[in-house]
Formats: sequence, C-alpha cells, structure tokens
Amino acid sequence: MTRLAFSAMLAAGVSLAALGQTAFADDTLLIGAAISKTGWDAPYDSPVMDGLMLAIDEMNANGGIAGKFPVEIETRDNRSDNAQNAIVTQELVDEGVNMMIVTCDSSMVHAGAQIIVGAQIPAISTCSSSPTLPLSGDGYIFANAVTDNVQGAAQAEYAFGQGYRKAYLLRSPDIEYSQMPLYFADAFKKLGGEVVGESLYSLGQPDFSAEVTKIKELQPQPDVIVTSAFEPDFPAFIRQLRGAGVTVPLVAGDGIDSPTTFALGDAVEGVVFTSSGFAEPGSPMAAYQEKYEAKYGKPPESIMDALGYDLAKIIEAAVTQADSVEPAKIRDALANLENVQGATAEISYKGGNGTPTRPVAVIRIEDGKRVLVSRKAPDPAIVPAPNLDLNAAQ
Amino acid sequence: MAPMLSATDLHVRYGAIRAVRGVDLAVSEGEIVALLGANGAGKTSTLMALVGLVRPAQGEVRFGGEVISGRDTEDIVTRGMTLVPEGRHVFPSLTVAENLRLGAASRRDREAVVRTRAEILELFPILAERSGQAAGTLSGGQQQQLAIGRALMSAPRLLLLDEPSLGLAPQVVDDIFDLLVRLKQRGLTILIVEQDAVAALDIADRAYVMVNGAIAMQGPAAELRASEQVAHAYLGATMAETHA
Amino acid sequence: MAYFLAQSGNALSLGGIYALLALGLAVVYSILGLINFAHGALMTLAGYVLVFAAVLGLPFYLSAPLAILVVMASAVLLERIAFRPVRGASGATMLLTSFAVAVLLQLAFQLFISTRPQVVPLPDFLTATVDLGSFAIGVNRVISVVVAVVVLIALNLFLKRTVLGLAMRAAADDFNVTRLMGIRANRVIATAFALSGLLAAVAAVLWIAQRSSVDPMMGLVPVLKAFIATTLGGLGSLLGAVLGGLLLGAIEIYLAAYLPDAALPFHGAITLGVVILVLVVRPQGLVGASRELGK
Repeated sequence: MTRLAFSAMLAAGVSLAALGQTAFADDTLLIGAAISKTGWDAPYDSPVMDGLMLAIDEMNANGGIAGKFPVEIETRDNRSDNAQNAIVTQELVDEGVNMMIVTCDSSMVHAGAQIIVGAQIPAISTCSSSPTLPLSGDGYIFANAVTDNVQGAAQAEYAFGQGYRKAYLLRSPDIEYSQMPLYFADAFKKLGGEVVGESLYSLGQPDFSAEVTKIKELQPQPDVIVTSAFEPDFPAFIRQLRGAGVTVPLVAGDGIDSPTTFALGDAVEGVVFTSSGFAEPGSPMAAYQEKYEAKYGKPPESIMDALGYDLAKIIEAAVTQADSVEPAKIRDALANLENVQGATAEISYKGGNGTPTRPVAVIRIEDGKRVLVSRKAPDPAIVPAPNLDLNAAQ
Repeated sequence: MAPMLSATDLHVRYGAIRAVRGVDLAVSEGEIVALLGANGAGKTSTLMALVGLVRPAQGEVRFGGEVISGRDTEDIVTRGMTLVPEGRHVFPSLTVAENLRLGAASRRDREAVVRTRAEILELFPILAERSGQAAGTLSGGQQQQLAIGRALMSAPRLLLLDEPSLGLAPQVVDDIFDLLVRLKQRGLTILIVEQDAVAALDIADRAYVMVNGAIAMQGPAAELRASEQVAHAYLGATMAETHA
Repeated sequence: MAYFLAQSGNALSLGGIYALLALGLAVVYSILGLINFAHGALMTLAGYVLVFAAVLGLPFYLSAPLAILVVMASAVLLERIAFRPVRGASGATMLLTSFAVAVLLQLAFQLFISTRPQVVPLPDFLTATVDLGSFAIGVNRVISVVVAVVVLIALNLFLKRTVLGLAMRAAADDFNVTRLMGIRANRVIATAFALSGLLAAVAAVLWIAQRSSVDPMMGLVPVLKAFIATTLGGLGSLLGAVLGGLLLGAIEIYLAAYLPDAALPFHGAITLGVVILVLVVRPQGLVGASRELGK
C-alpha cells in the first residue's frame, strides 16, 4: 500500500468517526465527571464511580436509558485541587456534556459551582453530604448522600431516644463535613438536650491525648460524645478515648463507614453511626451488593459504591422522565423526582431544593458487624436549616 | 629515578575560568618542594587537582609511577599522598582525638596506627593535652598542628600543604616550618604552597613560581632566593615586605 | 495537678514520636544540607510493606524488620537515583528534588496500590494502653519515647565510637576534607540515608499504631511535623531535632489542654505562632547548630 493511499484511508476513517459522533449525539447521554482520581479526595470518589459504572454497564447492555439513550462518561481528574477542579469542570462544559457528576468534597464543588450554574447543566455530587451545596448550585447542583443536617437530626433523635441528655462534641472547623456535630447540637437542643462541651481538632491530627484527657476530667461525664471525624482521625481518637478508660457512648457520622473502623475491634464496640443505607437481607441493597461482588470479585468495602449505584439510578430516572438528553429538561425532571429505587433506599428530590429526601439508617457496631438500629427520615421539625457559615469556615 | 609525583600539562578549569594552564612539575622522594606565587596564581587549584578534589580538565598526574589523575581523592589518599588544606579545616565539632582517629581512617593495621599516633603526640605534645577538647576551640596554631598531625595519621609518603602559615603568629610559623624540616629528616616528601616565599625557600630544596596559572620559573631554592630581582618581580609585595 | 501531669505525659509521648521523625530528617540534613521531604513517603512505604506482609501471613516480628529493611534499602536507592545527581547543588534545587520525589512516590502509591486507606494489622500490644493511675497512656506512645531515647543513645554511640560515625560527623563539618581522610564519601552518605530510612520505618510503625491504616498521603503530616521540629531545634543538629520534637509536642498538647474554647479554632495557627516566636528569639533554633552533626 502506498503512503498516499494509507493517508487517504486514515482521513476517511477520521471523518467517518466524526460523522458517527454527530450521528449519535442527539440521543447519547454524555456525562462529564469532574472527580478526584488522585489526591486526598480520591478515596471517596473512586468507590462511588465503581458502583456507578456497574449500573451504567447494566443500562447500556439494555440499549441505554429507556432503551434509547446510551450513556457515555467522560472523566477528568481534578487531583483533589480546587483550581484544577475549576479547569476540568470548564473543559467538560466546553465539550458539551449533557450533565455532570461532581466530586465528593463540597468545598471543591462550591468552587466550581459558578461554571456549572453559568452553563445551566445539572450536576450531582458523588457523595457530598453538604446541605449547603444545592444553595450555591442555584438549582443545578444536587446532593446524593444523606445531608449533614439530616444526619445530625437523626443522631439527635437516636441519642435523645436513648435517654442521653448531655452531649459532648468533637469537631474540626477545617471542612464543612467535620462540623456535622453543630447540626446535631441544634436538633438535640430542640429536643431538650444540652451540649456540655466540645473539643476541636485539625484534620490529620496524629494525636488526641489532650482532647481525651480533657474529656476524662469532665465532671459529671457526658451521656454521649458526638463526632463526624473520619479516617485517619476517627480511629486515632476512639482508640485513645477507649484506651483512657472513657466508656461514654459515641455517635458518629457516615464517614466512619470504612474497613479501618471495623478492624479496630473492642475500641469501636457499641459505636453508633448514621448512614445512607443498610443491607438488610432481601433488600435492594443486598441484591446490589451481590451484583457488585460478581462484577468486582470482592464484597464492597463500604456503602460508598452503593451511593454510586443510587446516582446512576437517579440519572436514569431523570432522563427517562425528561425523555430527552437536553440539560434543561434533565434538570427539571431531576428536581421533581419521587421515590426512585436506588441501591440504598427510595430517593426523592421533589421539594428538597437539591437535597435528596431519603431515610437515614442508624447503625450500631456489634462484634465488628453492622447492626441496624432504625431506618427512617428524622422529624422534619428538628432538621436544622443548612448553614452556609460552616462552609465559609474553609 | 622517576620522581615520586609528577604533573604533565595540568589544566584546571572552573567553567570559563582557566585557573591552571599547563603546569608541569615533579617532586622526588625526600625533597621539600615549594610552589610559590601571588594570590590567585593557581597554586591551590594545582594542589586540589593533584589530590583529586577537582578533576583536571587536561593533563596527567602520576604518583609512585601510577597515573592517578581522574581517580577519587579517597583512592589517592589511600595510596599515600594527602593534603593539609588551606585554612587548616580541622573538624571543629569533633574532638582532637577524633580528628586524629579519622586521619587514620584509610589504614587497616591497627598496631601501626597506634605507633603513628604515639609519634604524632610526641611531635605535638599540645594535642595530647587537648585530646578531649573540640577542635574548633583550639587556637590557630594548635589547629594547624592538628591538621598536620591528622594528615600524618594516614602515614603518607608525600604530604601536600596549602599555606600552612596563613593567619598564624610569626613565632608559630617558625615552629611549623621547623617541624616540616624535621619531618623531611624522617623521610617524608613535602610539596608546600606558600605566600611567604622567604620562609618557604628557607626550607625548600627546589621551588616553582606560578604566575597566572602557569609555571613562570623554577630551580633550586637557593638560586631563586639569590635572584632577588626575579623573585621581586614574580612574588611581588610578599618578598619585599618580608625583607622589610 | 493530676490534669497537668496527665497532659505532661501526653506532651512527652507526642514529643517522643516527633523527635524520632525529626531525627530522621536531621541525619540527612546535617550531612547534605538536604531537607528530604520524601521522608514521609518512606513512612508510607513502610506502612504498605506491613500491609503486604500481613497479606502474605507474616507475623509482626518478621514483618516489622522486613519493613525496616525495605525502607532502608529504598532510602539508599533514592539517594542513588534522585539525590546524588543534585548533590552540592543549591539548597533550593535539592529541596525541589525532594518535593518531586515525595510527589512521585505518592502518585505511585495511588496508581499502583490504592487511593483508599489500607488497614494495617498490628499486634495488640502496640495498640493497648497502660493505666498510670490518674491517666492512661498508649503503649505505642511509651514505646515511641523509649525508642526515641534508645535511638538517640545508639546514634550517639555510633557517631562517637565508630569510624563511620565519626566520618558522618566530619562530613557534616566539611565534606571535602572528609574525603581527604581517605573516607568514601558515598559510603558516608549512603549510611546517613540508611539511618534515616531506619528512623522512618520505626516512626511509621508507631504512627500507624495510632491511626490503624495507611494511605498514599499518610506521610504528609509527619514530615511537616518533623520539619517544624527540626527547624525549631536547630536545623542540622541531632540533639536539636530531639529537643525540637519534644518542644513541638509540648506546645501542641498544652495549647489543646489550656486554650480557652473560643481560641481553640486557632489552635494550629497559635502553635505555629509560638514556633515562629521561638525562632524570632533564637533564629538558629534551640541548639543553633547549622549542619553540625552530633555534638
């Protein structure tokens, strides 16, 4: 073959491919994912994407959403960096994506929000539980996980129901998520409880002995300690706390749901935490986890991947409802979704202003295993309003 | 007999600066040879190149019949040649004893090292007195004694000294030069770089005079000393001042 | 009073581990003038070796020495590959090189292992606590103080009694003149890196005993603490590194213990403020050596 002929064929191939793209563009749902594949935020985004891909493969195997909208995902790594996140978000917008998946860390999403709002493209966060996210998203950015204020309210209901009246908080002003105990405090006071003190820590703090000694000195001891600390801070704290002989019950947020927590043995016995889901036998969650294990060859490490499956199901429902891949139509459909069956729960967005309405699972760790305490949405009357100041603390 | 040390067409460059430009010199066993010249003439660079602390850009150095140019300093020292650097450079945070011990780091024969050490402490009684003291706390003259003693600990056949008189009181300088003569009598070969040309020529057998990186003249020390006019021209103020 | 004593115990034990970390940085800095920010990545590596050794079923008394050996070898290798080419370059060049190495290693961990934390199984005795009446202290903390002291004494003996140790101190004083003693410079430097690797691995075991898992970013916080501690103590001084570590631990603990609640959000800023204050008064750090090893 002559070189000329080869070049001509190459050129023909290229134009064919280009033709192919335009030919499909009308009914292909192109999702842009601006997420963290590297850096500190990556451990949160990556399992969500695993669960999401599982669902999307299922959908595409059936000819796409509603049998006619094949799904494509264009993923860009924001390297867990605010500036890089803005850059990749803009790149994806420029590529004409129909909708977006944004990262778990709310501060990064807040930083890229203007681009998304300006482009009027609907976006869903992988696993952010920030209740303020939809506020800066101006109707275009949606949360997926149970939000902090709802978790805080559920923790308060649980704690008050256990007869606890005096709570001690451990929180970090470093990021929005680690301030969840403030929502708890709000709800707990509405119920008639009292916050008797708090300790502050820095993310990544290697040692909690000063805080633990402080708690041990408290007279009388609090009834409950509430925190949304997560790895590596939570294991360090709980180990030192129990090591010092403090047996006060502890209630935590969904961030502790990781293999490390369950490897802590006696230190986490009896710890209670709130979560977006729980795999009851025979539940959709259990069915999903079987599929996950079949695909990835190992059981899920936490609930994070199930949230990814939820996310895909929400997208599927919104596109089906919109019967279109136009961003504006997807957004409108998404905002009005009701009772979408995901892996973890039935999820609604109608009337939630971008936050999902979903039940909160309250889970206790017994013998290193998850035991369901309750599974319901907390009383709306005690759910605190989203507090943008917590985000400003960053 | 071939000289103990010889350099042929030695060049040293630091980037664009040509510090040494084609030096030929030789030192025979049992000699004291002086390398003289004004500041910046390239004397120190020559010594550094001989001992391998800078790589010669060109030329060859032979020591004991072997080509050593291009070898590591560590190797050269182990072969029996070492340098007492300008400004003494004792290890200030180490004690006197530790400095001496390191001097013998290249030697394996422990008993011989003990003997060398005893000889050196005999030569420099002050070092025995100050044995446990940090070297940095010694006076300039004591540091110079330590620097020489430390170099001798490696039992060199050839000792290079760079400006041993620098910054020392005249009486101390005399002592140091007396010592070099005694070392020569014990069979040590010495190549000394000095700005104090008079003092150096007093003890040297032969001398080289460097100007602008090259050897300008050479000959027996006595001849150079006599040739005052030449010496004055090449050695400049140093000679004149010392005379005054 | 009991509260103060308890917090002092906390300060000592946190300071012990900081001292160990700072020693690792100081050993290399004192000789090369290089602040090795990849020290944290070496700790992370130690964590992963422990994870893999556990997967292979090795008991702790085998996996810990293995981790130490692997990290020591890696430290020497890093010197050979990354730092030797820039030896003698400006401080900034070496600093950037060490940052680059740290980032590359971190990325390698993320790409080839996992972004997610891996549980590190450790024997119970490391995660247990001892009750000292009014307060309890983690065994790993007691160990870190003991290890820091033992390492310091052993290091001191090594630096005073062995030719290689003397050579390291000499190299810290004057690198070229050390070569004039017929001492292999590369051997001295390799030894320094091996020592820092040893310290990194030991510190990693104690660090992980606290947090129970290893992730690619694990080394960031400890290397920062170590950097602050060595600066505080006097860059390049081993004794300074230990004192700086102890002081940093004390500052952090006492501030957390005695700051009024309203000031607690500024704990980190106040800690650094105190550090800066110390450095304003003593710019050379507590001991004030600049690249002088082991006085």
